[in-house]
This record gives sequence, structure tokens and C-alpha cells, in this order.
Amino acid sequence: MSDEIASKLLHFKGHRHITTRLLLATLTGRPIRISEIRSSSTQPGLSRSEVNFIRLLDAVTNGAQVQFGMTGTTLVYRPGLITGSAEGLGAAGGVLRHEIPRDCARRGISWWLIPLCVLAPFSKGNMNVVFHGEGCVTSSTPLGDVSADTVRTAILPLYRNYGIERNIELRILKRSCAPAAGKSAGGEVQLVFNHQVRLPKTLHLMNPGRVKRIRGVAYAVGVSGSNNARTIEVARGILNKFVPDTYIFSDVSSAPLIPTKATPSVKTKGAVGFGLSLVAESSTNCLYSADVSSPPQGGTPAEDIGKQCAYQLLEVISRGGCVEPIAAPTALLLMAMGSEDVGRLALGRDVLGSEDVIQLGRDSKVFGGSGWGFRDAGGEKSEGEVVVSVVGRGVGNVGRKVA
Amino acid sequence: MASNLGKRKRVTRERPTEPSVAPSPDQSSHSDDEEPDLQAIFRRAFEAKFAPLAPEEPKKARHQEPELDESKEASESDWSGISSDDEGEDEPRVQVVDYASTTRSTDSRTSKADKRAFMSAKPPTTRTTVTSTTTHKPADEPFDPAEASHLKNDLALQKLLRDSRLLASSSSATSTSSSALSLPGALRHKSTDLHLQTLGAKTSIFTQKNMPMAQRKHMAQKTKTAEERRRTEARENGVVLEKETRAKQSGVAKRRERGVGGPAVGKFSGGMLKLSRRDVAGIIGGSGGRGGKGNSRGGKRR
Repeated sequence: MSDEIASKLLHFKGHRHITTRLLLATLTGRPIRISEIRSSSTQPGLSRSEVNFIRLLDAVTNGAQVQFGMTGTTLVYRPGLITGSAEGLGAAGGVLRHEIPRDCARRGISWWLIPLCVLAPFSKGNMNVVFHGEGCVTSSTPLGDVSADTVRTAILPLYRNYGIERNIELRILKRSCAPAAGKSAGGEVQLVFNHQVRLPKTLHLMNPGRVKRIRGVAYAVGVSGSNNARTIEVARGILNKFVPDTYIFSDVSSAPLIPTKATPSVKTKGAVGFGLSLVAESSTNCLYSADVSSPPQGGTPAEDIGKQCAYQLLEVISRGGCVEPIAAPTALLLMAMGSEDVGRLALGRDVLGSEDVIQLGRDSKVFGGSGWGFRDAGGEKSEGEVVVSVVGRGVGNVGRKVA
Repeated sequence: MASNLGKRKRVTRERPTEPSVAPSPDQSSHSDDEEPDLQAIFRRAFEAKFAPLAPEEPKKARHQEPELDESKEASESDWSGISSDDEGEDEPRVQVVDYASTTRSTDSRTSKADKRAFMSAKPPTTRTTVTSTTTHKPADEPFDPAEASHLKNDLALQKLLRDSRLLASSSSATSTSSSALSLPGALRHKSTDLHLQTLGAKTSIFTQKNMPMAQRKHMAQKTKTAEERRRTEARENGVVLEKETRAKQSGVAKRRERGVGGPAVGKFSGGMLKLSRRDVAGIIGGSGGRGGKGNSRGGKRR
């Protein structure tokens, strides 16, 4: 603990990539200071969802210190030990209930879930978190967050490559769609992540393979289930040509009911809508996903959603590589936190060249990781991919060090 | 072909004025004759003024469908149109494939299992592919005597390799045996035993079920020391042997977990204290064998 306090604060600027920076800080145990958070904006400081994410970090760790500046544009974060949903630290019955208030409804639940999943394998105890509240949106959102279904079907299977595969569940207890401004969502999602490891296995994923099957979930929340049928019809019409093994399942649920503040017995309906989440799996178990849902203001026919989603999936596949854009930060973070060994991962050029991934590489270097190595993937089968070599830090799970 | 095209155009154009009775075939054939003439005239005039035209491709297929739809009730003329389709054998047919409407004919069981695997709370596993692929057995091939003899030789070779240890001793003992491969008496039993063990038999056929304990212990001891000697000798000679397989200790796995925070009774797993029937009987004490006896005995004493 003393060396942690003694270690110098790492300085960052700006509101971008705040979750990955907080994540890196928590995983490496280095305190950070982020300044100039939206300092020139008309709404300066951290957004509601970012504050809520820090709250979540505080809940799953022990001994974390967070200091906000007076204007909210500066943040000092000293991470604690990742304890998971340990008893006595906000968790009841081994389950941590995390409320997402209404003003966070612009972001989808995956915005919280994906970073939390990265933390979970390095936790001391089990991770069992229920997200609920008026800002909990399980569908994909216009801001680009994927749905909870995609997290379950496209991101969680990624952990299997690192030897993390047991007792992982993502239960969607109540579905909800992205609400219009001023409305509430009211979804409920439970993440159970009970496979903690000392160190994730070193990954060597070089061969993307060929897409062999496509699965998907079409969801309708509080609207007619025929929307699902229409979405599926169109999406299959496009995808069947390429992959005959295409199944899209339908999930119809009623609108979530939210108790009103004044009288809890009176309940109002949450956000309604529909959407589609598609996952393509290759012969070497690489996953590509796409996610589209109806916009909060409505007015989009189901056929358009299906078509858009199918095309989006084809685009993601066309970018190539073994890992798709939304899963790339997770994959690279886990590689960077692995054992002191060189892991290799073939990524598509556009995936690697995205802002998130490049900034993640720079940040992980700032946090004391080694630089990443790049080389063109050789071989006659490669389609312009780049092989990223990442040396792990070899620190891994501090909570499990003495076991 | 162009004649057909012309005919259809004319039919659709003349439809309002046409009587409900279908036009006679000779009338239509007449129209066929005059239409190409007109076209030829125009063509010649055009070619005289400009460059010669490329020979016109027949565009029958495209015009066929609307004509079929609009003249459903007209009986005679449109049928001639369809039959004319058969005349043009040389032109390429348009193959229509509708991917959207094709539904995979799979049994519901597979899709249900698939759905359960995919839609559960767990991340879908890639290995649970319950694909009901029917293994296509190759059509029974003609009997090949060479193949049969190969198979026979193969079996014999395998037996030879298996028994080579036994053969060495047998050949030195009985040099009179006619064929070296056939083993006499006890050796044959040993060979069978070896074969059974390679096929996965749990125990040797020579293991005796009931035996005095001291003898049994001695046998186990003997095997162990022999094995150890073999290994040490091999090590000294620098021979690499197969890996040692240790006998699984079944007693350890069965032992109850006695952690510090563990329950005194039952088994705590998944946030649930599980009591076995025995545990329950031990707690209640009433209906159990001993408790019941105790009560009855107490009654007698009083």
C-alpha cells in the first residue's frame, strides 16, 4: 500500500477513453489524475454515466479513493483491491445491486458491462452484479453501445481463449430499449462472473478462419412480436446467400414496469422498441457481431432494422481479423494483463487503426506495459491483417497472489 | 423471336377493342408475318444512313410475365404464348432463386436444443453443435479378395507384434512347432490376455478373484519392485521408458472438506446447505434405526 501511495500520479487529459484509463488504473494499481474533462464544453466536467461508472468501480473494489475537483473537470483516482461482490461492501447476499439513474439512459448497459467483465477475472472474490434502475438500457443505443445480448454472445465467449470459461452468466432479467429524452428505460441485467484466475493464458490467435454460421437474437420490448418476424425475414434473406446455417431467435417481452417515485404501487411503462443482434462465428471460433435497434423516436420499419443489421454484420466481417472492433479493447487488455509472455493476435487494419485501440496501446505503455509490436500477417491466406504482439505484465490478479 | 415480341405488344395494345372471344390462330400468325417486314424496312433505312446494326437479341423472357398476369381469363391466345416458350430451346432460361423464402427443413429437436444453448444466460458454447448429420454410408462395394487378404495379413501382423515377447520364449522351448505364429497352451492364453488388455479390458484374465491376503499383498509388492527395478536399470542404461502411470487414489477424493468456515453438518455449495438423508436422520434422531431403538428400550425400562 505504501508504494502505491508513493508512486506518482499518472496524468491524463480530456474526457475521452476515460473508462479504459480507469480500468487500466484499477488493474495495474496505479493512481491517476485526469484533468480538463470537457473544460471547454457548456456542460463541463464528468457526465452522469461516467460518475456512475466510478461509483461502480468503487463498489467492486475495496480501498479506492476518488477525488473530484471543484468544477468537476479534474479527477484523481487511487484504485483499491478488486474484491468483487464481497459481503459487507455494498453487496447483500453475495449480490451487488447497482442502480443506474435515469440521466444515464443515453448509454447502453454494455458501456458498464464490458469494462466490468474485464475487471472480473482479476477480482479477489466472485463478481455478481445486478444492474437496474431507470437508466438501464439492455438494447443497443444510438450512441453505439451494443446490446446486452451481444455482450453475452460475442464478448463473453472471448474469455474462453484466455482460459476463463466457467460460471459466467449474463442474465437479462428485464429488457428495455433506448428511451426518448426524459423517459426512463427500466431494464435489469445480472452479471455473474465466478471464474477468477491468477493470470489469463497467453493468446495466440492468428487464423480468422471462414464464417461458418450466424446466430442472432431479435428482441421486441413492449411492441408486437411481428416486428421480430419481419426483422428476421429480411436479415435472413440477405445472410442466407453467404451462410446457409443462419438462425435468428426471437424474444418477445412486455415493456418493463417502473414504480413511480411518489406512489411505488403505481407503475409506469418503460421504453419500448425492437432490435436485432447478430453474431457470426468462424471455423476457428472467432466472432463478429452487429447490433441495430429501433431509434427512441420510432418511425423505422422493422425491415430496415433487419437490413441494416445484416449489412453491418457483413461490414464487420469484411474488416477481417480475429477480433471485431467492439471486442478488440477487451482482447488486448486481457493480453496485456497476462503472463510475461508474447501473445499474438491478428487484427484487421481498420480495427487496429481505430482510435480506441491506438489510444489503448499508448495508455498501456504509460501504465508501465511494454510497447506493442506490429507486423504484417504473412501466409497466403492473410487478407492484409496485422499481427499485434503484446507482452503481458505478469502481475495478473493481485488478490489471488497468495492462495 | 422478334415476331413473338411484336405479337405480344400488339395483343396488349389491342386488348380494349378485342372481343371476349379469343382471336383465331391464323389471325395471330398473319400478324406475325407483317411485323418483321416493317421492322426490316426500318432497319434497312437506318443502316443505309448510319452504321450497320448488331443482330437483335430476343428479349422474350422479360415480357412474358406481365402478359401472363393480365390475360389470365383469356383462354386461347395466352396459352399459345406459353407454348411458344417451348419453341425457343436455344435461349437461356432465367433461374430464380429466392433465398428469403427458403426455410431450412430441420427437425424441431435440433433447433430447440440449439435455441436452449444460444438463448440461455450463459455465453453460447461453440462446441454444443447438435448437428444431426446423417453419416452417408458408402454404397456396399464389390467384394475384393485382395482387400480381405490384406485385412487378414494386417490382423496377423498385429498379433505377431503383440506376441513377439512370447514367441521368443516359445521358439527356444519348442522348436518342433510347425508354425511359429501359432502358440501352444498357456502361451495362447497369455496372447489372448494381451489382446484383451489392448482392447481395453480392466483386468487380466489371470487375476484370481479370491486369494489369501498375504499372497495378494506379496504379489502386489513383487510387481512393484519388479517395475522399480526395470525403471532403475533403464535409467542407468540411459533408456527412456514410458511415463509412469500412478494408480488413482479414490480415498482422497471422497474425503469430506473440512475448512475452517465449513458447516459442521452437510455440504455447503452454491449458497445452499445440502443435507443428505443420513444427515437429516442424524439430526432428527427419531426415525433413524438407533434412535428408534433407544426410545423403545426406554419405554420398556419404565
